[in-house]
Amino acid sequence: MKPAPFDYVRPSHLGEATEILVKGQGSAIPISGGQSLMPMLSLRVASAETLVDISRLFELKTVEETSTGISYGAATTHAAIEDGKLPDPSRGLMHKVASGISYRAVRNFGTMGGSLALADPAADWPACLMALGALVTIVGPDGNRTVTVPELIEGPYTTILAPGEVITSIEVPRLPAEARWGYSKFARKSGAFANSLSVAVIGGGNKARVVIAGSSTSSSLLTDTASLLDRTPDATEDDLKTAIRDDLTKVDPNGDDYQHRSHAAIVLRAVQQARLP
Amino acid sequence: METTGDSWIGARVLRKEDERHLLGAGQFVGDVRMPGLRDIAFVRSPMAHAKLKGVTKPEGHEASVFTYEDLGPMKVLRTSPDMPTFHSAHYPALATDRVRFAGQPIAMCLASNRARAEDIADLVQVDLEELPAVVDVVDAMKPGTIKLHEDWPDNAYIHNTIDAGDMEAVAKIAAIKVKRRFKMNRQPSVSLECHAVLAYWDFRTGQLVVYFSTQGPHVMRIGIAEALGLQEYQVRVIAPDVGGGFGGKNRLMPEELAVAALAYKLKTPVRWLEDRREHLIASPHARDHYYELTAYADKDGMLLGVDGDVYVDAGAYPMWPTAAFMETSMSARNLPGPYQARNLRARTFTVATNKAPMGPYRGVGRPGACFAIERLMDEIAHELGIEPVELRRRNLVSSFPYETIGGMKLDTGDYHASLNAAADLIDLPAIRARQAKGELDGRRIGLGFAMYTEQSGHGTGEWVKRRGRIIPGYETATTRMGADGTVELLVGIQSHGQGMETTFAQIAAHELGLDPSKINVRHGDTSISPFGFGTFGSRSIVMGGGAAARSSRTLGEKLKKIGAHLLQCAAEETHLKDGQVHGPNGSVSIAEVARAANVRPDLLPQGIDPVLDVTMTYEPKESAGVFSYSTHGALIAVDPDTGAVELLDYVVAEDCGTMINPLVCDGQVQGGVAQGIGTALYEEIPFDDQGQPLATTFADYLMPGSMEIPNIRLAHIVTPALATEYGVKGMGEGGAIAPPAAIANALTDAFKDIRASFDETPLTPRRVIRALDAAKARVQTGEKP
Amino acid sequence: MITVTLTVNGQEETHSIEARETLADFLRERCNLTGTHLGCEHGACGACTVTINGLPARSCLTLAVMCEDRAVQTVEGTRGDPEMDLIRKHFHEAHGLQCGYCTPGMLLAARDILRRHKAPGEATIRKELSGHLCRCTGYVGIVEAIRRAGAELSDKS
Repeated sequence: MKPAPFDYVRPSHLGEATEILVKGQGSAIPISGGQSLMPMLSLRVASAETLVDISRLFELKTVEETSTGISYGAATTHAAIEDGKLPDPSRGLMHKVASGISYRAVRNFGTMGGSLALADPAADWPACLMALGALVTIVGPDGNRTVTVPELIEGPYTTILAPGEVITSIEVPRLPAEARWGYSKFARKSGAFANSLSVAVIGGGNKARVVIAGSSTSSSLLTDTASLLDRTPDATEDDLKTAIRDDLTKVDPNGDDYQHRSHAAIVLRAVQQARLP
Repeated sequence: METTGDSWIGARVLRKEDERHLLGAGQFVGDVRMPGLRDIAFVRSPMAHAKLKGVTKPEGHEASVFTYEDLGPMKVLRTSPDMPTFHSAHYPALATDRVRFAGQPIAMCLASNRARAEDIADLVQVDLEELPAVVDVVDAMKPGTIKLHEDWPDNAYIHNTIDAGDMEAVAKIAAIKVKRRFKMNRQPSVSLECHAVLAYWDFRTGQLVVYFSTQGPHVMRIGIAEALGLQEYQVRVIAPDVGGGFGGKNRLMPEELAVAALAYKLKTPVRWLEDRREHLIASPHARDHYYELTAYADKDGMLLGVDGDVYVDAGAYPMWPTAAFMETSMSARNLPGPYQARNLRARTFTVATNKAPMGPYRGVGRPGACFAIERLMDEIAHELGIEPVELRRRNLVSSFPYETIGGMKLDTGDYHASLNAAADLIDLPAIRARQAKGELDGRRIGLGFAMYTEQSGHGTGEWVKRRGRIIPGYETATTRMGADGTVELLVGIQSHGQGMETTFAQIAAHELGLDPSKINVRHGDTSISPFGFGTFGSRSIVMGGGAAARSSRTLGEKLKKIGAHLLQCAAEETHLKDGQVHGPNGSVSIAEVARAANVRPDLLPQGIDPVLDVTMTYEPKESAGVFSYSTHGALIAVDPDTGAVELLDYVVAEDCGTMINPLVCDGQVQGGVAQGIGTALYEEIPFDDQGQPLATTFADYLMPGSMEIPNIRLAHIVTPALATEYGVKGMGEGGAIAPPAAIANALTDAFKDIRASFDETPLTPRRVIRALDAAKARVQTGEKP
Repeated sequence: MITVTLTVNGQEETHSIEARETLADFLRERCNLTGTHLGCEHGACGACTVTINGLPARSCLTLAVMCEDRAVQTVEGTRGDPEMDLIRKHFHEAHGLQCGYCTPGMLLAARDILRRHKAPGEATIRKELSGHLCRCTGYVGIVEAIRRAGAELSDKS
């Protein structure tokens, strides 16, 4: 179980990295933490002619306060969030999510940007950052663009990133003091990818956001459920269940009965947790 | 039971093995360094069943790719029990004209490292003509199904019928009749160190040296020598540190034979380190039992008999030395469990399908049998509305010896004490009270028990009955004392992590009146240790321990004779203690005696030969085995929305007779339970309709971690065996036998209001929900469970 | 081939390697440090855990070339480290190992857990240890060893 051969380059700045990646047109792949890419390379289910090591690029490491929230460099590791050493605009949600990703040794190197770029449907960051309304800044040969997480992720393992484009930072808006979040995750074992994962952020004057993700369900906003919560913050459990079911039929049309039940239960738990006083 | 020296039997001695591993200085096969060593990668069949029409070696790499023909003539090893009703087949080192499971090795590629060997393997072209795959064990036996092996009458390795008692009569009179189907799905043994073999030709000794992560180096030597046409003395097998085996390293894999053959052909060092994907796809698989059973009981819940069919999916080929012939018969014979039922009828089918060949795995046929009978016992209890513990009390064997209707000669024990201890330890009344109150988080709490007996240390007679071609009826030990009075204990048995370097040193220390630090146990090298069969079947402490006791005791007698001469007294007046030979009027150190025996023959009494070196074999007096047993209790919480099961508590009340080292016994039980929990809830290799394995990495094949395994709490009951040294019973497998049954019973208990039935492992969240849905549907239609 | 230089257990190691070589293979095959074991090669078992600049890492998920100028410590490099010797003592006394294959990764994880949590209880240890598979012990002895080591370290500090 060893990777097929590839070349390796370690550009010294972001511009050089994007240049190499553009030239590679898909056969050059960026690697940072490598915690998802390396197993795929070793299993030879992914391959590259050139690996472009972006793990040391200072441009991806900046963490700064903005007027509306915190901007995290894409190379921010899960462990950095877990350890609470960085400012947290999410009132503890990001810490909670980070500490449940895989295992500590993986969290030491795995990055937020990498998680978004891979877009594994069961991954934690896309769901969490979608619920927080984060903005993703992408640098490419034609300059910068900033997109929302739903705009970034098109489906399981599919994003709008073009060859040469690299996620550089993720800006997470500050949650108002009155906002509440809920987070529920069901995995078959600790550290495994989630069967069902839900994040709900409500209150504080923002529109509610409820997200479902899971093994075969790419992170998706549950809009009916969110509008119900906006309209009727104290909606009954039955009404919530109906809204969740309707949402799941839309966002997960291929999910079977079991998957929908599991998703629905986890979404309900996240919502109920967020509604706790 | 006679003690002749210091009492090291039963002492919680810390393990001698630990230091090297804690320093990262253990030596596993992959750690062996050899100049010029090259790595092997195998080309494997992508199809489950196909005609192999050709292999095209990539241009420029012709000399690095090897097929069966390239390995030189190999003798076909006879792989079957010695019975005409058993159908065997050749499992070649590399496929010849047909492949019968996805992952079967077809060619081997050699390069300076594994990555480059894999590069070459990727370029090899294999021409296959796909055949229909046989995937389901019941369908495999239907007329018209394609046969895996064309010279067989059907797809069964063997079918058999056990019919003891009078089932027709029982069926007529039984007040309670419970019919169920049980399935225990397929898994490999998943030692953390995968299979590994490194071989080279040693020109100095004229030997093919094979470093081999195996449970039985001596037996593997027989197979390798025979297959390659070598004299046995030309093959030296060394099992260095073995990173777990659990049964899976007790068969000769084709890859292992191929590596040995290639090293012999090329006379240069080569190795194959199985990777995890290979392990999951192509290492010996286990379990895969299917049962259709009816249990009969009277109105008081007395189990009258068990009747039905037992299928074991043994995969595509028989593995040397003994194929999977024991699996079904062992399962069927264990169906009556520790109970007094007097009727047993079982049709058994050991079936070939297009899946990886079956090998033994901790517990072999017993986890399946235990799952079946213990689930049935709980169903009978629920039919009658009585506490499952009470039902067991009524049915347990209570006087010994007792021969079950399955032919198991239960030797000693107190089964009721075990059941009561488990119920006490987990606090049955408190749990019933908690269940009555309900849980705040909406989950359901369930409590399940399961019991089993574990035949261990069975000898020649039993193995002859099973018609093995190799009869592992004894073990061998050499106790050798140097001139300074320290001991090398050379044993034919093999330790693969279970602490024999410590427990066997305790035995020798006990017999010789020495501290265990004076004793060094050596095993796992055919050039060092005397012959032995290896570690499996919970036999090591009975057989190997017995041999170590005998050889050390005999050496002790010689020490006493020489000591008596030096002390001017009679040998009968002496005893060994604290490193001394003590006589009525003084003592002499064992070191002094050893010096005389080894380097001062002038000091020896007349008629006593110099040198302290005794080799003895051992077989227990009773060849039917001695029986350990346990009660397991599992407390679970189930999420009725997702089907997730959490283990809240797990207890074991076990009896393995006299414990040489309770620390090691605890570790064996706890480790076994963790594996059983894996079988119960997590571990499975599913297959699609084309016979493709669907769990090929640890992302899909779920291994229980520290969050999935609770703190396993133990109670010990000690009923010494009568037929063994010190009263020991083997116990290595036991922990893994009962967890699937205990956990499924706990689920059934949690939902006994709707009589949900949990009958297939692993009990994944999806299966749990399916069983709940089925029960709810039955409740609606008023159908009986 | 690429020439890479990193520090392993305090010693500089320079080797000419293929870019695809993992840190695990670099340590085992180039540096002959075989205490780092490979149990799955896809990051799920934890046996190959080492530290890179002090942080526990899966050496099977790390390319050696990416460790240029980094300081790597393997289990061999912890010999004589008083903190690790204390952890080792408790693994020995609590029967925290059987076959020994998972042990090096367990030790490095244990030290990291005890650096991040003062005298952790069973629940914390189990959560933190969940990325390290052991097939022999059922984790009972390992969890207990770490708990005892944590208690002793906290008494000492």
